[in-house]
Amino acid sequence: MPDVSKMKKPDVKLVLLGDMNVGKTSLLHRYMERKFKDTISTVGGAFFLKQWGPYHISIWDTAGREQFHGLGSMYCRGAAAVILTYDVTNWQSLAELEERFLSLTDTANHDCIYALVGNKADLTDPKAHLCQDSGVLPEDRRTECEEERTEPQVLSTCPTPPASPASLSGLLLHKQVAREDAVALYGRILRYKGLDEKSSLPADKMCFETSAKTGYNVDALFETLFDLVLPSILRKRHEDQASPTVDLEDCREGSGKRVRASCC
Amino acid sequence: MSVKAFELVPAVERHLLMGDKARINIECIECCGKHLYVGTNDCFVHHFLLDEVPSPKGKPSYSAQKLLHKYLGLKKPVAELRAASALERLIVLCDGVVFLVDMVTLESVPSAAGGGAKIRGVTTFCVNENPVNGDPFCVEMGVLSSRRRTVQIYMVYEDRVQLVKEVNTPEQPCAVSLDGYFLCLALTTQYVILNYNTGASQDLFPYNSEERRPIVKRISREEFLLAAPGGLGMFANAEGASQRAPVSWSEGVIAAAVCFPYVVALDENFVTIHSMLDQQLKQTLSFRDGHVLQDFEGKVMLASTKAVYVLVPLPLERQIQDLLASHRVEEALVLTEGAQRNIPKDKFQVLHRRILQQAGFIKFGQLQFLEAKEHFRKGQLDVRELISLYPLLLPASSSFTRCHPPLHEFADLNHLAQGDQDKVLRCKKFLISYLGEVRGTDAVNGCREDVDTALLKLYAEQDHDSLLDLVASDNCCVLADSVPWLEKYHKCVCCRVGSPLQGFSPAWGGFQEGMIFMFYSSADLIPLVRLLLLTGVHIFTRRPACKGQPEVDPDQVIAYLGKHSQALLLYLEHLVLERKIQKERFHTHLAVLYLEKVVLLLAESPRDEGRLTRAREKLQAMLRESSLYRVKFLENLLLERATLHGKLEEHDEALRILVHELRDFPSAEAFCVWASSGRDAAYQRRLFHLLLAVYLDGAPPGEARAPHGDGSEMEMAAVDLLNRHGEAFDAVRVLRMLPESWSLQLLRPFLNRAVRASMHASRTAKIALGLARSENVQLLHDRLKERRKPIFVSEKKGCHLCHNTFSEPDVVCLPGGVPVHVHCAAQRVRDSPTKRQLANSSNHT
Repeated sequence: MPDVSKMKKPDVKLVLLGDMNVGKTSLLHRYMERKFKDTISTVGGAFFLKQWGPYHISIWDTAGREQFHGLGSMYCRGAAAVILTYDVTNWQSLAELEERFLSLTDTANHDCIYALVGNKADLTDPKAHLCQDSGVLPEDRRTECEEERTEPQVLSTCPTPPASPASLSGLLLHKQVAREDAVALYGRILRYKGLDEKSSLPADKMCFETSAKTGYNVDALFETLFDLVLPSILRKRHEDQASPTVDLEDCREGSGKRVRASCC
Repeated sequence: MSVKAFELVPAVERHLLMGDKARINIECIECCGKHLYVGTNDCFVHHFLLDEVPSPKGKPSYSAQKLLHKYLGLKKPVAELRAASALERLIVLCDGVVFLVDMVTLESVPSAAGGGAKIRGVTTFCVNENPVNGDPFCVEMGVLSSRRRTVQIYMVYEDRVQLVKEVNTPEQPCAVSLDGYFLCLALTTQYVILNYNTGASQDLFPYNSEERRPIVKRISREEFLLAAPGGLGMFANAEGASQRAPVSWSEGVIAAAVCFPYVVALDENFVTIHSMLDQQLKQTLSFRDGHVLQDFEGKVMLASTKAVYVLVPLPLERQIQDLLASHRVEEALVLTEGAQRNIPKDKFQVLHRRILQQAGFIKFGQLQFLEAKEHFRKGQLDVRELISLYPLLLPASSSFTRCHPPLHEFADLNHLAQGDQDKVLRCKKFLISYLGEVRGTDAVNGCREDVDTALLKLYAEQDHDSLLDLVASDNCCVLADSVPWLEKYHKCVCCRVGSPLQGFSPAWGGFQEGMIFMFYSSADLIPLVRLLLLTGVHIFTRRPACKGQPEVDPDQVIAYLGKHSQALLLYLEHLVLERKIQKERFHTHLAVLYLEKVVLLLAESPRDEGRLTRAREKLQAMLRESSLYRVKFLENLLLERATLHGKLEEHDEALRILVHELRDFPSAEAFCVWASSGRDAAYQRRLFHLLLAVYLDGAPPGEARAPHGDGSEMEMAAVDLLNRHGEAFDAVRVLRMLPESWSLQLLRPFLNRAVRASMHASRTAKIALGLARSENVQLLHDRLKERRKPIFVSEKKGCHLCHNTFSEPDVVCLPGGVPVHVHCAAQRVRDSPTKRQLANSSNHT
């Protein structure tokens, strides 16, 4: 994670939320490292810095385990976008979003953008097998992925069984969450946030189905969000730099320091 | 995965503290400079002087000298000790009471004016290391009380404590840390950040403090480290957000400290060390009965129940080197860059650069060239370090020596590749591309010779296309090294003096040019040109005209070649004859050179006729073909002069010279052919007549033999001329000119030709006449046929050609009886000359 080392102050924060084993870490890996690899259950959280044009976007990967649930609202604090992730083969993972995770986003920015992402689309949807990754996945690479897919959560320290039984046979699994369900949830999220559905981003734009394994729709997801948070970055910068109101707190602190410096 | 980041060094051994008393345990420690205070469970405070003992092996050790120990008189364990060095006070928590003792005497400080330097009912307290209050002679302290859900802020002075603020909390607080106005609190069920100035509160995350001991540790300005559920070490800033990813501890962590860039945590059996930069576990030290872990001004101290230790961080550089030694490049770089804040800027830059260079070589050794290149570039590597890995690439004259200590472990490329030729090849390809990239940049300032020479050698060895480009561009290749190398790889055999001129393959031509360019930039041009004397000029003449290379300045070349006439001649020929450069200067120069050569050969005795003729032919050709040279320069050779006169259209004079002075009749004839080439037959005829006249004038009938011997010679020439070019003459005029005395026999071929030509002309004319007549008759026939019916012309009738009506009675009748305007018909005839006959024969009606 050499990106972290740069310690550039991020301009904006994105947070991935969702139940365990829905593939949050894999999504992020797929986007950042262009590959699908073994992940172990995330402990606590992790973050990546992504350079997007002139901006630094920090993307927080959170732990889905109940144990770390309490940390979620801290990660969400000041977030400009929250990616609520579920597993298309697991109805419960969608329900959990509403029950457990939605309330964590209370600490996010008031203009926070919400995206609903159904991961593991490759298990139910043949078209998600078409690799939409920017670089075409070579054939051998793909089989390699297939092998890796022996359920990444095998190594998980999590005691529960993997949420989605792997489709090693290549059979498509039953899709438990239809896109309409996600769209409906999106509507409820807006209502929960007290946002007007008409003035908010439309559901069909903000509901994604992705596959971290094949890369299907992954770039589209992140890049759509990056583009959507840009105004938020600009506003933040504007507020930071050209605020017409004098920040008394800031001034006092500054002068206080000066006094201290001169006195010793 | 492990790094050796810290070393556990004993500071105070058991015997110094409690001797053999088994029941006595260490409760708390405080370290302030060299002063170490240890609080025990039997209510003693021990004061040691802790000295770092320098050791020759670099392994740190400490010696502790006991200064004092003091019973505080409360029979309870000393729970906490904090030094306020500016006040020379120790803040002691014992038996729920906070009070002050003198740092030196350990005597309890009597309360001043009865104010009471004591705070009762205290469970724990903390000192604000970043107080908003600027007074250096007081210490701000946050105190948790056992009875109330409050946090109290006290000011501690030399002899008193003063309550300045009291903040209520929603639950019972059990751990506190303070930074600025911000209190970070562990409550019974959660962590909160509390601004004691504004009263604003910010929930962090839930935590069951009764189940597990909370940890609240200020780690930097407005940033705290907290024990989180699941054995996490969470970072939180004053806004309540997390700016670093958490580290994963064990569940049983009892204390934590930060020694940048590491988080050190203590549990029952181990000290674990995580990096804050990548959150990875870096080192684990076995440590039993761990009790206290605290950092004091950057020094991390550790206490078991019986002894005190110091966790001595290994020097950063050593850690980084260890990482590099195990090829963990990314970690090493993360560590280096993470340490930026802790190292002075200039020192950091040096360190960072070096680490990057080393990292680059490691990546290079792994053949990960992309990363290697990036590291080299960022690390501003002296390219020669890299070049020096490749045997023999650096010029012998290079003053380069590898830096010490070495940046890598490789002796050279062969060592690195272990005989794998494919690896060697890939490394070479990499160097080619790398050098190609850095060549033009500032990175190679001061070693351009080395870089260019190395690149040249690589190109030559690898038979690389860019070799020509390199040598053709402005470069600094060292000659002494390059030439043998090029010869070795058959790039430059022709450099040797005396090699045959014909031996150039076109492919080498460009390269030859390169050689010259190469020497341009080095100082010793003239010796080289001498070396290349004859062959060298081919560099210029055989050079492909394309390639977009900067044009050679011919003047410069000529100046250089000036001393070597043969080469100069070849070069000028190239310029003038092949490249057709239209510059009077070059043409004149070349003409003069030809001339000189002819003169030289003429002066020789015996004459080498063959060479003379060749030289003359060249000169004459030059004089004829070129129109740019300055004629004046050249007038001292008759033949050539004749040509000059020819140029000036003074043909009679030219021919006079040729015939009378040179008596070079073939030349005279050739002159006529040359001078009239491109002109019409009449011009040629005029010239031949002129020549004939000259011949005949030179041999007037009856005159005595001319000095050179022979009117008859002239006559013969005239006869030859007539017989050879008979068709060019007007026979009648010739016959008039010829002397009466000439025999018919003599002129037979000419007369034959003349008669034949005349006959031919006459017959051709007759045929033409016949044809014309027949056409005329044909037309008359047509006309008669047409006249049988009348042709009407009226003002209403239109002309078939222009479609206007007729206004005059004069019309022309086209075949078929179609009347048209006169002018229209004329127009048509003008447009199609074949209709001429028709127009002539048409009639008016």
